[in-house]
Amino acid sequence: MNHNWILLFLIMTSTVFISGCWNQKELNELAIISAMAIDKNEDGKYVKTIQLVNPVNVAGGLQGGGSGQSPTVTVYTAMGDSVLEAHFHATSKVSRRLYHGHANLIVISEELATEEGIIDILDAFERDPEIRMTSRVVIAHHTKAGDLLKSLTAIDKIPAEKVNGTIHTTERARGESMEVNLQDVVTTLTSAGKETVISGFSLKGDIQQGKKIENIQQSELDTTIESDGLAIFKEGKLVDWYQGEMSRGVVWILDKIQQTDVILDREGQENILTYTVLRQKTRVSADTTNDLPVLTVRVRAEGDIREVRSQIDLTDPYEILDIEKELEKEIKKQLENTVIRTQQNKSDIFGFGEVVRRSDPKKWKKMKNDWNDTYFPNLKVNVKVEAFIRRSGNRTNSYLSDMEQ
Amino acid sequence: MEKAKISAYQLFILIVLFELGSALLVPIAIEAKQDAWLAILIGMVGGFCLYLVYHGLYSYYPDIPPTEYSQKIMGSFLGKILAFIYVLYFIYLSARVLRDFGEMLITSFYWDTPLFILNTLMALLVIYTVRKGIEVLARTSELLFVLIFLLGISVLFLIVVSGIIQISNLKPVLEEGIKPVLKTTFTQTLYFPFGEVIIFAMILPYLNRPEKVKQIGLLAIGFSGLILASVMAINVSVLDVNNITRSPFPLLSTIQTIEVAGFLERLDVYFILITVIGVFFKMCVFFYASVVGTANLFNVKESARLAFPLGLAILILSITIASNYSEHIKEGLHVITLYLHLPLQVIIPSLLLLIAFIKNKKKKSKHSKNLFPKRKYRLVERDKK
Amino acid sequence: MFSFLKRKNQKNDRKIQEINNQNQSNNRPPNLIESSLSKNLEVIKQKTGNSSDIIIRPLKIGHNSQIKIAILYVKGMVDNQSVQDFVIDSIMNNQNLSEKLIPQEVLEILIEDVVAVGGIKVVSDWEKLLTALMSGETITLIDGISKGVCASTQGGQRRSVQESTTDVSIRGSKEAFNESIETNTAMVRRIINNTDLWVESINIGKITKTEVSIMYINGIAKNEIIEEVRKRLKGIDIDGILESGYIEQLIEDQTNTTFPTIYHSERPDTVAGNLLEGKIAIFVNGTPFVLLVPALFIDFFQSAEDYYERFDIATAIRFLRTVIFFISLVGPAIYIAATTFHQEMIPTELAIIIAAQRESVPFPAFIEALIMEITFEILREAGIRMPKAMGSTISIVGALVIGQAAIQAGIVSPAMVIVVSLTAIASFATPSYAVAISARLVRFIFMVSAATFGFYGIILVFIMLIVHLCSLRSFGVPYMSPLAPFIREEAGDTIFRRPIWAYKKRPRLISGQNRVSQGEDQKPQPPRTRIMKNTTNVEKGEPNES
Repeated sequence: MNHNWILLFLIMTSTVFISGCWNQKELNELAIISAMAIDKNEDGKYVKTIQLVNPVNVAGGLQGGGSGQSPTVTVYTAMGDSVLEAHFHATSKVSRRLYHGHANLIVISEELATEEGIIDILDAFERDPEIRMTSRVVIAHHTKAGDLLKSLTAIDKIPAEKVNGTIHTTERARGESMEVNLQDVVTTLTSAGKETVISGFSLKGDIQQGKKIENIQQSELDTTIESDGLAIFKEGKLVDWYQGEMSRGVVWILDKIQQTDVILDREGQENILTYTVLRQKTRVSADTTNDLPVLTVRVRAEGDIREVRSQIDLTDPYEILDIEKELEKEIKKQLENTVIRTQQNKSDIFGFGEVVRRSDPKKWKKMKNDWNDTYFPNLKVNVKVEAFIRRSGNRTNSYLSDMEQ
Repeated sequence: MEKAKISAYQLFILIVLFELGSALLVPIAIEAKQDAWLAILIGMVGGFCLYLVYHGLYSYYPDIPPTEYSQKIMGSFLGKILAFIYVLYFIYLSARVLRDFGEMLITSFYWDTPLFILNTLMALLVIYTVRKGIEVLARTSELLFVLIFLLGISVLFLIVVSGIIQISNLKPVLEEGIKPVLKTTFTQTLYFPFGEVIIFAMILPYLNRPEKVKQIGLLAIGFSGLILASVMAINVSVLDVNNITRSPFPLLSTIQTIEVAGFLERLDVYFILITVIGVFFKMCVFFYASVVGTANLFNVKESARLAFPLGLAILILSITIASNYSEHIKEGLHVITLYLHLPLQVIIPSLLLLIAFIKNKKKKSKHSKNLFPKRKYRLVERDKK
Repeated sequence: MFSFLKRKNQKNDRKIQEINNQNQSNNRPPNLIESSLSKNLEVIKQKTGNSSDIIIRPLKIGHNSQIKIAILYVKGMVDNQSVQDFVIDSIMNNQNLSEKLIPQEVLEILIEDVVAVGGIKVVSDWEKLLTALMSGETITLIDGISKGVCASTQGGQRRSVQESTTDVSIRGSKEAFNESIETNTAMVRRIINNTDLWVESINIGKITKTEVSIMYINGIAKNEIIEEVRKRLKGIDIDGILESGYIEQLIEDQTNTTFPTIYHSERPDTVAGNLLEGKIAIFVNGTPFVLLVPALFIDFFQSAEDYYERFDIATAIRFLRTVIFFISLVGPAIYIAATTFHQEMIPTELAIIIAAQRESVPFPAFIEALIMEITFEILREAGIRMPKAMGSTISIVGALVIGQAAIQAGIVSPAMVIVVSLTAIASFATPSYAVAISARLVRFIFMVSAATFGFYGIILVFIMLIVHLCSLRSFGVPYMSPLAPFIREEAGDTIFRRPIWAYKKRPRLISGQNRVSQGEDQKPQPPRTRIMKNTTNVEKGEPNES
């Protein structure tokens, strides 16, 4: 019996030692990719840009060494007929194994998204087990996708983190962009009742300046990258850009607003009062009794008054009620504008189709194929808003009301 | 049969871990779309019925394994052939589980490592364990169950906290009516994983309290059914049905989606831990049954001696069973359910039960004394103590 | 088959030895003591090689000092005071003795009247007589009588009872066992004042004839286990027992394991507590370490102090210890697996920092870890053997020279130093040294598996470890009980420590039939009435009744 044991032991140790380093990869033998970008050049080839982290330069700053000498990231570009081919070509330029495990950003160029659509390029990303489905996806607005990765950034040492951080903060504080990850994109692409929305990002300034380390050695950067609107897709192709209130409307109907400001015009004066939404809940329901479903968007917002530029008496509950009414009207107007424009785009980015499907699967089956072109643009959408003012910050009335007296 | 006894609680855990083993890995019942959980629950009810059949047989022959009582029921020759078929079936199933597992590791984590090596390591561990006997296996399961339970709870907590559950993905319920759900149940979930409980017919004779077999088995199947159903429901609500149908290992995708507090993300290791432990027990139970069955059939005194050769056979079988993953899955979901699971899990046991029932009725009329074979066994057991 | 072969060999050895023994006994002088004193003394001198530390004091007593007697003892082994006062002095000055003529009478009077020592016995064969002499008893031989009188006068210089050095605790008794078996058993008896505390002694070791005692509480300890312990102890046939470690290695259930299946302690209160649970203590003369069987895996994570603290604190500490043990097992392995296989699971910032640190390190993480681990083991080994005064030098060399310089030289990365030191501290924090050293060994297996297969390797080795632990038994009791097999009413005293009032029963697998350990309703409850507050009513009721 013990001969077996010796045999077993030998096999085990030999497997352990022979197997050596199949999947083994030392951390310092990896080229850690922080972001990837896909462009298309004039020849119709895909251009893949990868942003690699220079660990020593990133960590150097933390350990007291100067980080001024060399940039924290290095960017390589390569071309190919498919995304993966471009990737292969990139490997010939880097001394280390390209590693996607920490790639947290995929940038797609506006041009590619508009002309060809994003459908063809995502499979390679989804299939690779190393690439995370939670990587954020961003559309480069008014710029090449690759350039977005080349620009160095201040504060955030790695530009990819700057992009992700900015989108995250914008979503939380303003509600004008949305964190969209690879999984969300693929899900909405495959869903018949919901279209894709992806946040945009743009480069301000000259890219040649932005590449240099001098750019971030000044207090005001010549070249920066910033969050810029929402890209609206229809069946995988970019059809429209929404900015400001319009994009906030999308985020709002998708119930992803966490905090945002609504500015009110009043009694002929513009921008007289700023209302900050601190909590909100949006519900979309469908009534499918008629042939054409009727959608209802119910918004319930709670918040504070943050800025007042007139003598409104905020101690008066009736006044508050009035303001609430006007706020409701304002929000309703904004949301309706968004819905109307989206219906003109014939792209159901709100997922109204999903709502219909859930409430009446049978009817949905009939409408499914023509949803975006026939049914969605003609939907009747009711927007019902309830807004509540809870507090008014550190002051009741504005000092303006005292000054007039 | 080795002289060993396991407790009711140990049996419960073994059944639960066995059921969860590879079923947590693969997208079971996904043909039923977002109603997969329902298909699993209906499959669970079917599993109850099947278990009652196996238990019926057990209550006629409480202290011998199926490889032996099949000979008592069908006669020596036919019974031996039947027992042989079952042993082969068990070996085949353990090879399948091993392959499932190896494929999972290769696709998700170890794409540069040969399948053979990954499978070898697992097979060696299983051989080592099975040689130690059922008692050690049962005790190990008690300890690792706690670990898997804690892992499960923490994963659930993280999923809930990261806010990725969208219950709306589960709606509409029964979009296409009940038909596809029932179809999935009867072509899949009834046999995998619930019908596979037939393997425990080999282990039931070891239980120290035979009167609890029925209750414990049903409880365990119910418990694991609920877990599987809720895991599938969570998968669907996190990933959306379309993504699941395209992902070979939905639970892995779900865990990969977790993002909590900026640093609790990419928790793939959780998945490795859960599946390695789960698959380890499933393999062990299958393999143990194969070893004990073979020993019993060919009158080998020391069944542990068979562990090594049989383990090698299973290892090689697991590599040669299919040339690629699609073939493996296609075989698993369509071929063997119809030609192996259905006859071996449902039809033959029911027939055996019927024959055993008739035989015992005849006996009963002859010796009206021996009304309940179970009770007789209990007396014997008490005497032993 | 190895173990089987070994056992066979042992049997063969034993047979050979038995034959040798017989041969020796054939050559020996007759086994019984003769009646002639001079002959007897001659035999003793011959047998002991005329050793200079054996004192032979011839005396003449009786009427007209006609009877010759001799008093023998070993210098240093006896308590000089009692030999002088209670043996020699009383024999010389006894009135009765001086009137007797017949040696037989002298013997009787010696036993009944003269020798004023507690333990006294009469032996007639050489074997026993010499063993008694060698163990520090005082022998009186009388001319004309073929018997010897042994008076137990053991004494001499022993280390006094001191504070425990290996099981230190903040709360609880400070005294620890010392090297004398009598003191040790007495210390336990002082805690358990009960007639049911039984002690059995045997001498083990063909040459050393070391006294070994089994102690257990009759009625609580399981008879099967007591019988098994006796059997295994009697089976020992070895030249010498120098420490309880010899016994431990000769009677454990399974030899091919790194984990201890016998518990040892230096503290009387730990031993008493374990005896109360039904365990059996094995005392060995000459060592302060007392063995306790059967030992469960969980015992090695408990310290006596757990029971002295309140249960919530003790439970928290036990949880901490479980984590500590886990870290000391897999700490470096997890680091290796995470940095060489599963980089994605490290948070991005940390991954970048580690990558930057490793940039200048020429070795793979596994080799790096191995270098550090081995360096640390060297430091530790050096630290233990060094004289205390040198200890600080070691720590300076270790911390500054190796730690700091290795990082600056780029041989290891700072992260690795953190991991290895954490592991090292964790292995010191494990309460039982015996388990800590096995963890040290198993850690290397984990490291190898992590370096070759990442987390898959770790979890496989982990499962294997659990299977191995579950397959162990200590005197028939499953090693991992009461966790596996899970026993609900006892699981409260494992990683948890339930309140003292909830210990209703003794462990099932260890103690015998009699399992109830405390009365019902031991949970303290505040007085329900206002009596405590209202002092005028104190006489009416008992304030503690509830």
